[in-house]
Amino acid sequence: MERLLKDIFSFEDRPRFERIGFLIFILIVLIFPWVVKSAYGRAVMIKFLLFALFGLGWNLIGGYGGQVDLGQAKNVGFGAYATGLMMLWWDVPFWVTVPVGMVIAAAESFGVAYPMFRLKGHYFAIATLCVALVWKELFVFWDWTGGARGVEIPIRPTPNFTYMQFGSPIHYHYFIFFLFLTQLLFMNWFRKSKLGYECQAVRDDEDVAASLGINVYRTKVIAYTITGGLGAVGGSFMTVYYLYIDPDFVMPLDLSILIAMTVMVGGAGSLWGPIIGAALLIPLDMYLGAWLGAQKRLGVDFMIYAVIMMVIAAREPKGIWGIIERMRKKRTG
Amino acid sequence: MELTVQLFIYGILMGLVFALIALGLSLIFGVMNIVNFAHGEFLMVGMYIAYLLSTFLHLDPLLSLPLAAAAGYLLGIMSYHFLIHHILRGPMVAQLFGTFGLMLFLRYLAMYLFTPDVRSIKEGLLVGKTLSLGWVTLDLSKSVSAALCMLSFGIVYWMIYRTKLGRALRATSIDSEAARYMGIDTKKMNALAWGIGGATVALAGSLLAHFYYVTPTVGMLFTLIAFAIVALGGFGSITGAFIAGIIIGLIMVVSGHFLSELKFTFVYIVYFLVVVLRPRGLFGW
Repeated sequence: MERLLKDIFSFEDRPRFERIGFLIFILIVLIFPWVVKSAYGRAVMIKFLLFALFGLGWNLIGGYGGQVDLGQAKNVGFGAYATGLMMLWWDVPFWVTVPVGMVIAAAESFGVAYPMFRLKGHYFAIATLCVALVWKELFVFWDWTGGARGVEIPIRPTPNFTYMQFGSPIHYHYFIFFLFLTQLLFMNWFRKSKLGYECQAVRDDEDVAASLGINVYRTKVIAYTITGGLGAVGGSFMTVYYLYIDPDFVMPLDLSILIAMTVMVGGAGSLWGPIIGAALLIPLDMYLGAWLGAQKRLGVDFMIYAVIMMVIAAREPKGIWGIIERMRKKRTG
Repeated sequence: MELTVQLFIYGILMGLVFALIALGLSLIFGVMNIVNFAHGEFLMVGMYIAYLLSTFLHLDPLLSLPLAAAAGYLLGIMSYHFLIHHILRGPMVAQLFGTFGLMLFLRYLAMYLFTPDVRSIKEGLLVGKTLSLGWVTLDLSKSVSAALCMLSFGIVYWMIYRTKLGRALRATSIDSEAARYMGIDTKKMNALAWGIGGATVALAGSLLAHFYYVTPTVGMLFTLIAFAIVALGGFGSITGAFIAGIIIGLIMVVSGHFLSELKFTFVYIVYFLVVVLRPRGLFGW
């Protein structure tokens, strides 16, 4: 028990500058809503934390596991719809819907992982994409999910913690920060766990991993299942934050790509990578996108994304974190 | 009965167009083992060329074929030299993201230039005409497009299997190291595969534009259809792409007739089943 708590909360194995940086980051996020009063600035911060949360989850399969999953949006959708539909039909409290959404997403991931991990590389990546698109098409097609019209969440008369509906963005800020922190601590445990090391061994060389007695297939399936569950949490948050969901909003291909991209840009397979990636891309998207949108320059923000993506792929596959690591190694010799 | 025949013929016609679309993807994969996510965006470029020529210069969209092919060829060669060549050495994740970046770039460049509006070609020799064959009536533009696609497919097939250049291309595809020792410039072959891939798919795009709407986001769908075809036919197999194209065309047209909202779902499910049950496809090795 004590060991487990230590694994979850301890960052002692990280170098000192990382721990100091992390502490500064936490302080900034904590005081942020008291310093920044503009509604737009706060919305950017919340979206950043949301995508950092998504990135942390995806990093498990995409970074540590080395499997390119281009369908994480389906899990976001499962979480969002579990929360939305259960609230709409039965008035179920938010905190009950979250684990349900996670279990549904994890179960679905487990079910498709079983045949899917017979595939490798490109075949696997395309298969994840297809699965996510099939789910999206089904959610549009079905009536009980609200179809293309989506689901509107009934507004509560008073702000409350049962349904997580608040009047001010400050509440949502701390709420998403809490979810983000739990996921970060989970990933902190994961990277030091047996499963975490197994995933990394599988990523680096499947044959060597197998020769060391690791069940490669089983490791991948478990990692993919957990990733599914983690993705649903952010989806549940989206439901109560935006109060409206539809398949185009919570499970489009663009969302899957953006999630994978934040991790790739920040640095896949490192604890901080997803946070760095989201910190770069989300403000870029929100400010530049809004500014260019006002100028009627539609699409320029995505073209900038695309260029970043191509440059990272060609020059620095380990992302920004890879650059930081290299610089530090050079300095310490 | 008439309906069955009609659906069957339309399926085959669509399949012939799909086969030409998938040809380039299969060729590129065969030669250099890389999947081009921007494939559908190359198609979109061809579609926009046909649309722009027809709408602004009032030229018949059929005249845009050589232009589209040339543009596709250039685009393919440029993509290879400026991007693909640099990501080949990297890990597979980087390759995937590289072509994904290319896809996003072309898609949003089109959105910037042409806005997200859905457009379609209104004038042209074939547009909106029908062809009566006894008791079946066919859309003339679909029939002619399919015939031209088959012709182009045949020309590329002949080039790959009957010419010296094609032999060098096939040698690179089987074993690029050995091909290099034999004196084949494999880098040139890679670029050529991208060029042919781009030219054929853009050509297919300018034909497709005769009867299919054009928007900046149209590419993704056809990329996925092409993936399904290439997986079914066997990655790298040209014959496979042709037969699988027709099969997927039939599946899409028939399922689209009965359950139009889910017609793409069937294509994805075919991909999924094929790669899981028979990963090397019908004609792969």
